[in-house]
Amino acid sequence: MPHMRRTRTLAALVAALSIALVAAGCGDDEESGAASTAAAGSGEKTKVGFIYVGPKDDFGYNQAAYEGSEAAAANLPDIELLQAESVPEDAGAERVMERMISQGAKVLFPTSYGYLKYAQAVAAKHPDVVVVHQGGLEAEPKQPNFGTYFGTVYEPVYLAGIAAGKATTSNKLGYIVAFPIPQTLANVNAFELGAKSVNPEATTTVVFTASWCDPGKQAQAATALISGGADVLTQHQDCTKTIIETAERAGASTVGYHYDASSLAPEGWLTGSEWSWGPMYTDIITAALDGTFEGSQYDGDYRVGLQTGDNPFVQSAFGPSVTDETKAAIETAKAGLAEKGIFTGPLTDQDGKEVVPAGTTLTYDEVEQMNFLVEGVVGNIPK
Amino acid sequence: MTALRRAVAFRPTGVLVTETLRWAATVLVGLAGFAFFVAAVGENPFDALSAMWRAAVVDPIGPGEVLVYAAPVVLAALAVAIPARAGLWNLGGEGQIAMGVVGATLASQLLPASLTSWAALPLLAIGAAIAGAIWCGVAGLLRITVNLNEAISSLLLSYVALRVLDYLVNGPWKDPGSLGIPQAEPVPSAQRLPLLDWLPVFGGGRLHAGILIALVALGVVLYVSRRTVWGFRLRVVGGNPEAARRAGLRVPLLILTAMLAGGALAGVAGFVQLTGVEGAAKGGIAGVYGFLGFLVSWLGRHDPLAILLGALVVGGIVVGGDALQIDAGLPAAAINILLALLLLAVLGRRGRTAGVEG
Repeated sequence: MPHMRRTRTLAALVAALSIALVAAGCGDDEESGAASTAAAGSGEKTKVGFIYVGPKDDFGYNQAAYEGSEAAAANLPDIELLQAESVPEDAGAERVMERMISQGAKVLFPTSYGYLKYAQAVAAKHPDVVVVHQGGLEAEPKQPNFGTYFGTVYEPVYLAGIAAGKATTSNKLGYIVAFPIPQTLANVNAFELGAKSVNPEATTTVVFTASWCDPGKQAQAATALISGGADVLTQHQDCTKTIIETAERAGASTVGYHYDASSLAPEGWLTGSEWSWGPMYTDIITAALDGTFEGSQYDGDYRVGLQTGDNPFVQSAFGPSVTDETKAAIETAKAGLAEKGIFTGPLTDQDGKEVVPAGTTLTYDEVEQMNFLVEGVVGNIPK
Repeated sequence: MTALRRAVAFRPTGVLVTETLRWAATVLVGLAGFAFFVAAVGENPFDALSAMWRAAVVDPIGPGEVLVYAAPVVLAALAVAIPARAGLWNLGGEGQIAMGVVGATLASQLLPASLTSWAALPLLAIGAAIAGAIWCGVAGLLRITVNLNEAISSLLLSYVALRVLDYLVNGPWKDPGSLGIPQAEPVPSAQRLPLLDWLPVFGGGRLHAGILIALVALGVVLYVSRRTVWGFRLRVVGGNPEAARRAGLRVPLLILTAMLAGGALAGVAGFVQLTGVEGAAKGGIAGVYGFLGFLVSWLGRHDPLAILLGALVVGGIVVGGDALQIDAGLPAAAINILLALLLLAVLGRRGRTAGVEG
């Protein structure tokens, strides 16, 4: 009966509105009470917000960042963490950051690539809050309370490539990548160059999944690579569990990424690359709270690698099958990396065209513009 | 608003009070279930719920954010409600929103950037409405020509639309200045919806004119479905298509126009998200608004006023849900549990009272 229904709807509206009004009245009192206690207590902890695109137990990018935040909080007893996981890379991220600021956050770490423009918008609205974005490049205009930071991801990936090149018997390596952006292309290239440095026959087949974490596509890609003959799998995904478990079940070896997931592959784990964010997070938060952030190295695009300092992206522990000979080869190569970069000419791309001439090394900045795959990589950059 | 006035005029106050109490009880059942869950994971349920409340209602930006979220949900729900009047299922809201984004972006690229807001915004909205209407219209056309179930075809077309948007923002439309993030070039600032910063309580944050567009659309749908011949005929088709045909109604045309109108509304939701919130086309811009719109429309039995209420509740839960993580330290999935419990409580009540209503 339509009339009955209309009454229902109206009743629901009345119920909702009256609850809203009553509670809004109570809330106002609460708010002013909270404000006065905050002003009175000077020993209050400073709040620092972390925002993750995925779950904080993903055996990958987000778990590494989450554990970094916990490490920073352990180093800095005067801070309190505000955490938000599984926040999509859309306007909702801006709302979450605003919520953290209204809860008193003075430093924000939006840790995913796609948060960049929302992070900059929030920084522009709140000059008293320091916002540092993980992995992006600051777009114009530069803001004094905004910066980006990252490690040099392809350095430990090159070293892991050596382990993969030594371990493979089919000479086919598989790389499962999310999106074709400069960072991921640099990793694929570094992996192939590392493998080729010890095994000239090694090729790397690349598959793009167009998602940072889609376990369905990951399983599909991993299965396809293994049935195509690949016996070592690695990845550039946020969540790493599915691919590692698929490889382990199929008896293939694994090179990890973002996080030490060796517990998922007790047999096949070779090595990997993982974040050790604690020290850098601690340093950034300290600068922000001391009021020395503006003009510091973090106020801008801060990148660090073996050639310039302590890379927060480090090599993971070795698995049981890695030989002493391989470990020695990796040690030698690592010492060489601080001297001479990975992308040193002559390098040719997949079509045999020279992309880095002999005697030239790409700088960290140039690598962040990378748009080619080197010879030895099988598969195309999606257009 | 006529409907509201009539409802007030013709309902005895007693019924209104009982109904109000019943609704409050239903919501309380949902909240009590959630409180149980929160206690089970070792947090204080009262703290969690009051944190949600503060985030959605008390915080300065809370009420505005609820409306920002509710606007596309209202439009997506209306996109389900109109075809539903004619007995049709539009499950393709997500894709039609994405096509709305494509249509509005295309219009933006064709128009000179110097055009004023008053000239440009309606043209972008029309572009979005046409694109959404075409996408939903295809499902309607397949239904009337080859009798293909529109629920299936609109859902499948949705995936195609999302891929089309992905392709455009990763390829031809990709903004070279976006530093590798797949998105189109931002629309000019004259093509952004104005902020409602003059509005007390709700304004001040990101609240934009999208909610006004949603309210106007709601009013139009209310009027059209209750006061026009077309709206009446849709209901006849929905009630019994065979009887409608025998009564001389052009059923295929009614089916097609219902689907076109629904798609146009979803397309406008895309326009609202593009020009009000994101400012540039990107994959994922359609979010889960299509799904939520479907849910809200069915829960409210496609009644426009119930849709408004449902969209506000969904917006409140999403915005309040941020606080469950940030303030109360609950896992991100907690919000989905709350949403599910509230929906189950409402549906359970519906089921129980269905017999009484007759």
